[in-house]
Amino acid sequence: MTAIRQLLQRREATTAVALLLVVIVFSILNPLYLSGGNLVDIIDQATINGLLAIGITFVIITGGIDLSVGATMAIVIVVVGQLLTTGGMNPVAAALCGIVLGILLGLVNGVLVAKLGLQPFIATLATMSAFRGVAYIITGGYPVLDMPPAFRAMLDGDLFGVIPIAILILLAFAVVGHFILTKSRTGVYIFAIGGNEESTRLSGVDIFRNKAIAYALCGVGAALAGMVLLARLGTGEPAAGQGYELNAIAAAAIGGTSLAGGKGSIVGTLLGALLLSALRVGLVVQGVDSFYQFIATGAIIAFAAYFEIIRDRINVKA
Amino acid sequence: MDALKLRHVSKSFGSNNVLKDVNLDIEAGTLHSIVGENGAGKSTLLNIIHGVYSDYNGEVDLFGNTVHFKSPFEAIKAGISKVHQEIQIAPDLTVGENIALGSEGAYVRGGLLDRKKLYARTDELLDRLGCKFRSNARAGSLTVGDIHMVAIAKSLYHDAKVISFDEPTAAMSDREAEILFSVIKDLLAAGITILYVSHRLDEVITLSDKISVLRDGEVMGTWDRGHIDKQTMIERMVGRELNTVLQEIDIATSDQPVVLKVQGLTGDRFRDISFEVRKGEVLGFSGLVGAGRTEVAEAIFGAQPYHSGTIEVNGKPVTIRSPRDAMAHGIALVPEDRKRHGFVRNLDNKMNMYLPLFEKRKAHTVNKSKITENFAAMQEALNIQPNDPNYMTVQLSGGNQQKIILGKWLATSADILIFDEPTKGIDVGAKAEIYLIIGKLVEAGKAVIVISSELPEVLGLAHRIVVMHEGRKVTELVNDHLEEKTILHYAMGANQ
Repeated sequence: MTAIRQLLQRREATTAVALLLVVIVFSILNPLYLSGGNLVDIIDQATINGLLAIGITFVIITGGIDLSVGATMAIVIVVVGQLLTTGGMNPVAAALCGIVLGILLGLVNGVLVAKLGLQPFIATLATMSAFRGVAYIITGGYPVLDMPPAFRAMLDGDLFGVIPIAILILLAFAVVGHFILTKSRTGVYIFAIGGNEESTRLSGVDIFRNKAIAYALCGVGAALAGMVLLARLGTGEPAAGQGYELNAIAAAAIGGTSLAGGKGSIVGTLLGALLLSALRVGLVVQGVDSFYQFIATGAIIAFAAYFEIIRDRINVKA
Repeated sequence: MDALKLRHVSKSFGSNNVLKDVNLDIEAGTLHSIVGENGAGKSTLLNIIHGVYSDYNGEVDLFGNTVHFKSPFEAIKAGISKVHQEIQIAPDLTVGENIALGSEGAYVRGGLLDRKKLYARTDELLDRLGCKFRSNARAGSLTVGDIHMVAIAKSLYHDAKVISFDEPTAAMSDREAEILFSVIKDLLAAGITILYVSHRLDEVITLSDKISVLRDGEVMGTWDRGHIDKQTMIERMVGRELNTVLQEIDIATSDQPVVLKVQGLTGDRFRDISFEVRKGEVLGFSGLVGAGRTEVAEAIFGAQPYHSGTIEVNGKPVTIRSPRDAMAHGIALVPEDRKRHGFVRNLDNKMNMYLPLFEKRKAHTVNKSKITENFAAMQEALNIQPNDPNYMTVQLSGGNQQKIILGKWLATSADILIFDEPTKGIDVGAKAEIYLIIGKLVEAGKAVIVISSELPEVLGLAHRIVVMHEGRKVTELVNDHLEEKTILHYAMGANQ
């Protein structure tokens, strides 16, 4: 019993309950919502946002933010796209190049924030614009067409014909991310930096190194998301990923990651991404105009934030 | 007629009684000074009078009416304002806007601020204070002295009857101070009552109509102009009995090797600091708040840069650019500001204690059982309440938080430990425990530096005492029947 109670007291439990409520409400409104295919759809639609959101969770816990994830996606998309098509590179090698590229772009943010001391919002606002420009320059503004089927099958196929590989990639990244955040020293440092950077520095922790790792992990998430999108669409648009950063931040915030830093979890973020996706799919199934989805998303974000305030108040009293 | 009358005013923070049954009569139109050591309760007293603390016992009368301000703004509206130790202005607003900030009411027409009219009024106030700058100047471009004038003008804008000054001259040049004194005389001539708090006893003696001495939250007495001299004042300010926990110190450590040697260390706020600490020795650092002691400690620990000078550890010169460097040479710093520099609020006890150890023990993963073990091992020496490795440090009492921070550095087995105000805001019981821990460290052959503004603490712990004043080392004294007043004399800047 105590184990169950402890589980329920965790912040993730509330997101899980909210997710469950959304699913229940929509399945009452339309039983089709609960069909296997639809559920897979919900998860599938959460993959790209989920990958971005997991990456951004690291950064937000340090007390930072990364607005450049959408633009990072775009660079990875066009570079990997060109490596595959004009470069004729083997899909696995190209994917590895994509991940390394994501790390490098993340490190650019890390240097701006932790070495030069720019405010994370401004630093990544700058790279959001600059990275986007780079993506356009690489292709001259044109999309990269005709991804090889082998690459598309690798990232957008189904394992045993049932489980979408993209979902497995999301899960793998979530497991690795969860391990780093909860079981590694870097994870402790990331939380400590978000809680009190100065105390952490005075404890002998290398702030630059650990912040850089957080931004690099965020870059990895963006690279994975980009490559999944590339495989899905079969073409690489330099305009891809615009506005995606906001959904990623929303998923993390709904999952209980505090924008003030020092608080958050991968499980929560994953649930947050699923909640957003379940809501969107549900509204589509109900035939609600897509314009209203934006309002629903906004309402959920505001509610999650307000819920956090109430929760803190209760915790202080307890 | 008394402008202010305090009757049986007491204030405590937790179990710490900061003010005990304070009675004061401040006569209207006079300058009344309040002097005392750091931590004597002067700031708390001012905070009560000015409505910063509304939770206190006793009675405050303003011109015969009992008042109980809920906020500083209420006090200002009632005609009592304060010129802060470190004045806060909005640097990007003009002088006039700063003066009127929050009370522009009379100068707002249809939602717009009538600057012309406002500035006419504020310029008048500036003229009255003899200021050369005008209301349209950007506040951020002013000097410290000018900013004080803006603060005084703000008090006049609110038609203040009582103005209090908290260490106004601390950051001023002599010339700026002279100008301030002449303005203060004009204010007195205009019938305004002035409450004056300062460490600079000479100016207190010249300016005051009356002087009250505060010690450990109690008023030791009030004297009229000319009835008390600097010597007596200092004696009244100190003269506490030594804490019984502090033992007799064996000062014969001169045969021990020098562990830390600092020569000519110069930084932004301190110059040419040299000293040595030997194995098994406590070196005390005394001085007033702002004398530069914390800055020296932070430079040695790599928390802030130094420009020149050398640091030697065990006879070898070392370069320290970051806390990591300092830790690699076995130096630890227990900082003064626990919340900001000591621990991390979102980590629990065991994690806060382990934070510097990951690197040292080359641990790349979180091994919960080892981390808990480390807590348990440290707990034996520390007696943290509650004895719970999973408790959030931020929820502990000040004394227990300090023990967590102590534990964190003891665990690194540093050989040189710097304690900055180790018992600040800590209750008596935990204080004694911390003294005992420092005693054990010395027995174990560590080199210890204790920075403290509490004289009995330095006298009870240190073998030798470095006294600093305004960023410089004034003297170094062997703690052999030293008296508090001797240290205080040097701390006040006297050379002999």
